[in-house]
Amino acid sequence: MRSRFAAVCRYEFRMQVRKRSLWVSTVGLAVLIAVAQGDRGPRHLPAGTSAAEVMGSWALLFSMLLPIGFGMVLADRLVRDHRIGAASLLASLPTRPGALVAGKYAGSVAATAVPGLLVLLVTAAGEFAHRGDLTLFGWAVAAFAVVLLPGLAFVAAFALVCPLVVSAPLFRVLFAGYWFWGNMLGPAYLPSLTGTLLTPIGDYPASWLMGEKALYAGDSGWLSFLRPEPGGGAALLSVVLLAVLASLPLAFAGPLIARRTSS
Amino acid sequence: MDIMISGLRRRFGRVEALRGVDLEVPGGMFGLLGTNGAGKTTLMRILAGVLSPTGGRVLVGGHDLTTRAGRLAVQRRLGYLPQDLGLYPDLTTQEFLDYIGLLKGLDDDTARRRQIGELLDMVGLADVAGRRLKGFSGGMRRRVGIAQALLGDPALVVVDEPTAGLDPEERIRFRTLLAGIAGHRTVLLSTHIVEDVAQTCQEAAVMAAGRVVFTGPVTGIIDRAQGATWEVVTQGPPPATGVVVSAVGRPGGTHYRVVSPTRPDPAAVPVQPSLEEGYVALMREAVPS
Repeated sequence: MRSRFAAVCRYEFRMQVRKRSLWVSTVGLAVLIAVAQGDRGPRHLPAGTSAAEVMGSWALLFSMLLPIGFGMVLADRLVRDHRIGAASLLASLPTRPGALVAGKYAGSVAATAVPGLLVLLVTAAGEFAHRGDLTLFGWAVAAFAVVLLPGLAFVAAFALVCPLVVSAPLFRVLFAGYWFWGNMLGPAYLPSLTGTLLTPIGDYPASWLMGEKALYAGDSGWLSFLRPEPGGGAALLSVVLLAVLASLPLAFAGPLIARRTSS
Repeated sequence: MDIMISGLRRRFGRVEALRGVDLEVPGGMFGLLGTNGAGKTTLMRILAGVLSPTGGRVLVGGHDLTTRAGRLAVQRRLGYLPQDLGLYPDLTTQEFLDYIGLLKGLDDDTARRRQIGELLDMVGLADVAGRRLKGFSGGMRRRVGIAQALLGDPALVVVDEPTAGLDPEERIRFRTLLAGIAGHRTVLLSTHIVEDVAQTCQEAAVMAAGRVVFTGPVTGIIDRAQGATWEVVTQGPPPATGVVVSAVGRPGGTHYRVVSPTRPDPAAVPVQPSLEEGYVALMREAVPS
């Protein structure tokens, strides 16, 4: 079971990391963000700002848009087995659907994380050029792990499974709408998940890294019990809640695939 | 690995694809003929453990395919080449086979790689082992398909319409390949191309409208058209009665071969039937128009 999970993970990683659209969308969005950030963006943080705050700010900035690209490119990873005609073969192999789904999930998350991590490391190199602080690289990895990666893992679970129920193009439209509503629409304007622990943009972990409220974390609004004061505990709770939520669609993936294959 | 099927039914919503199939498949190469929509692919998918039956019983090597444990036991000894198999375009031939080998449980790296090398030699793809599958032709893709099916040296190989859409040269090559692997295992070849069965199988079954309408030696199919196959040479229109199986234009007129229980034309002469004509006679009996 474990070796089959590892096999699916390894080959899913290989296929996903070779996907040109993953690199084009990540690099394109990262360049757009880096160039178009306003005066309050991390490029304009004063000298002497801590490396944790610098990289936390960058991670949050990238986390605003990069997951949209991730969601788009991940939306076909499970349904494509049916589209290209590999689903029957996979169903005929002595590998349980759980191992297939878990392997595909882990492999595609890992592959999608590679350009995300590289973007942050390249950014750290740019910051290092004029701040001269080597710890920027360490904080880049840390910021990636707590700000960008949990959101990616959350997005990936839904992006893999939802297209088994609705079409991939429809999912992409709905996902883009959700992303802006649930992450960036200020809670003062409309009831939204923005600023709650369930915000996959990484608002709480970024606030913890930066030592101040990063975006909307904890702002009063709808579902007030999900809006504690930002801090280390709240950041950890946010990451755990996102992981739990991500596991929900994955639990349904096996039966959904089986139903699709047997129809 | 023998297969015993009794009263097998499979329904998709209101459509009953299999309506009580009874069939025994001994070892060796076995052909399954039938028109499109006869239920062959549904039967193949059930044998591969991809679909569960709605009713009836299927025993493969003594394992009951209506149970999860039985399906898993059969899948451990199965090679399956589905109709229209899709290959991952981003992987090379070698990587694809390695992936499927791992999913089949071939965990010994050295043994798996050696077997992949042997299979690539066998199907004539050793030269393109490192090439991505993206640009492969239909024939090459089927050969990758049969190579993955043979990984793990399965006791039962199920191939569904493997030669459809291939050019004649590739079809012959593929048929030869299939016949060569049947030595010590059961190979179930599902096809609507009569010639494929004629060239590779001694035993066959014919399906029509979700049922098995014939099972036995391939020569038994030919016998169905004995005394009912005619040749008519005419410069006029084809005979009005019977089924015209072939028409060859020659200087003296067009030579028609016709399957008909009665003489289709006063000038018709009885001829020795082929497998295709036997198949046509059988289908006329099974599904009268």
